[in-house]
Amino acid sequence: MTETLDTPQPEAHRKRTFGELLTSDLRALPVIIGLVALWVFFATQSDVFLTARNLSNLFVQSTVVGIMALGLMFVLLVKEIDLSVAAINGVTAVLMAKLVVEFGFSPWISIPIAIVFGAAVGSMSARWVTFVGVPSFVVTLGLGLALNGVQLLLLPQTARYGLLGTGVEVIAQTKISGASAWLVLAIGLAVFSSLVVSSMARRKKAGLSVAVMSGLILPIVGGTVFGIIVVAILNSHQGIPLVTLTFAILLGIGGYVLKETTFGLHIYAVGNNDEAARRAGIKVENIKMAAFAIAGGVAALAGVIAASRTLGVGVFSGGGIGGGTLLLESIAAAVIGGVSLFGGRGSIHAALLGALVIGSVQNGLNLMGVENEIRLIVTGLLLVLAVSIDKLIERFTGQQSF
Amino acid sequence: MPPFYIFSEEKVLLETKNGTPLISMRNIKKSFGSVHALQGASLNVHAGEIVALVGDNGAGKSTLVKVMAGVHGWDAGDYEFEGKPVKIKNPSDANNLGIQTVYQDLALCDNLDAVQNLFLGRELAGPKIFGSRVRRAACEVRAKEVMARMRLSNLSLSRPVGAMSGGQRQNIAIARSILWTPKVVILDEPTAALSHSAAAQVSSLIRTLADEGLGVVVVSHDIHHFVVEATDRIEVMRLGANVASFKSSDVTGEQVVNAMVGGDEGANLAG
Repeated sequence: MTETLDTPQPEAHRKRTFGELLTSDLRALPVIIGLVALWVFFATQSDVFLTARNLSNLFVQSTVVGIMALGLMFVLLVKEIDLSVAAINGVTAVLMAKLVVEFGFSPWISIPIAIVFGAAVGSMSARWVTFVGVPSFVVTLGLGLALNGVQLLLLPQTARYGLLGTGVEVIAQTKISGASAWLVLAIGLAVFSSLVVSSMARRKKAGLSVAVMSGLILPIVGGTVFGIIVVAILNSHQGIPLVTLTFAILLGIGGYVLKETTFGLHIYAVGNNDEAARRAGIKVENIKMAAFAIAGGVAALAGVIAASRTLGVGVFSGGGIGGGTLLLESIAAAVIGGVSLFGGRGSIHAALLGALVIGSVQNGLNLMGVENEIRLIVTGLLLVLAVSIDKLIERFTGQQSF
Repeated sequence: MPPFYIFSEEKVLLETKNGTPLISMRNIKKSFGSVHALQGASLNVHAGEIVALVGDNGAGKSTLVKVMAGVHGWDAGDYEFEGKPVKIKNPSDANNLGIQTVYQDLALCDNLDAVQNLFLGRELAGPKIFGSRVRRAACEVRAKEVMARMRLSNLSLSRPVGAMSGGQRQNIAIARSILWTPKVVILDEPTAALSHSAAAQVSSLIRTLADEGLGVVVVSHDIHHFVVEATDRIEVMRLGANVASFKSSDVTGEQVVNAMVGGDEGANLAG
């Protein structure tokens, strides 16, 4: 331990080194570089890859895994894991379909029921974890299997509910195009900018240092440019798919909750040191329960979206028995994006970046005509590579990243 | 005047500064089942004073401090705060009176920065309808004030505390304890696991607090470098009771250690 009693550095005003930035604000940089590299590679291999049509497709394909990863992130941040998210995804989708097809419910009622049911299942497993003391790995593994059984019980003899013509399929088919798409972007940017500006204005008013470049201009200009590019691409095909917009809104809400609110702060605190959080008066059990409920509810929403895309539900819903690749890819997406399995580490963009990496590999290799087997191998290796790069950066910079 | 006083069976009021003590604990008894952890321990803490509580493992100093901080109740004895008898049932009762404790493990969240740690669980936040948005600017202003008061303005407020040194982390934990202007701060082994210079930094910080009128209680095993040099008064405990009281300026580390273990060579040497 090195101390600097005699020559205290003016640490508060010191410029941070690149290594320190890589372990803090720029933690996402390696993943972004990796994603760009993947896109460049696929662009050289396939003329179709960078077309608006394909990129639009890619966004839609990445949505279900991305939303799942986003919900799961909350659980990973509080240093737990939820292996039942894929099963929740499947069982709630089947429940929703059953309500619509067999009982004639409107999607407007059955979809909220599905989401509330998913959240309730998630909070139940959290209660089991915090009160009985069984590790979340075990609780949610068992729960996941049990829910797979329930899913099969809910299905009819034909093992499938078709959703064509029920109104549920509209979710996946709706696209917001033309001026409406730009309006949606403008609203999103306005909300984002007002949040950034308001916190900067408060800092200025309080007489604190204001980082105009990195705290104000860069986020707003960056967000605007990114938004314009994405909307331009989507608009030149058919517009913003509703499911992609849903994911974007969830990302925005999730980012706000995690970064700006006391609840988000408490999630990070519980994930890093639950005893310290408890002594600080934070109700650790409630924070964990909320995290599991969010994961469950969000998984249910992803299940509805998946059902809408496939125009039906069946045994395959929720990745099939055992969660299949849906469960593994959801966890992998969060981890590739930079969420730690050891709690308290990871930002909201992890869900987006992780899902895009996995989606790009799937999409790109499909275009190249590569078999599914290879895709799994590549995805698996990328997961290990992403975490390895993170660790190597920590080792070479001597900084632990948070 | 001999450098220390051995207590007899009768209660002897400890020699302290004048005026009503902030904390006055007399003849406190506490048992855990058949273990008599405290068998009539006493302690006064005055404003502006640093009291060291020393003793061998099992002497009862931790139990006494935990009673003071509301972690444990007590079976018998008087606990007065600012001259009035108090009932302290839990740590938040103690916090409300103005008694803050810095535990040895510091209870910091490594992934949060100094401001976030300082305000953890007590964030200044906006309306619930916007999800209780943390008023970061207000928190930071308040944190800066406290840091300036502790002469720690150099410390980065926006780095995760996990990236900081042991001394800096200790300082942040102390800063958190004084954030809500307590009257008494209890520090459990503040210099354990710190380098010599970092310990010196913590010592000067504690002195700053006492100079501002806080009562400071320090539990420490670091007799020679820290207790004798950085405190005003040393209370020695053995087997759940006070056995000696020193003015820190009148005593050597050897004498304190001898009082702790029950030897009398130090007294002989001094005589």
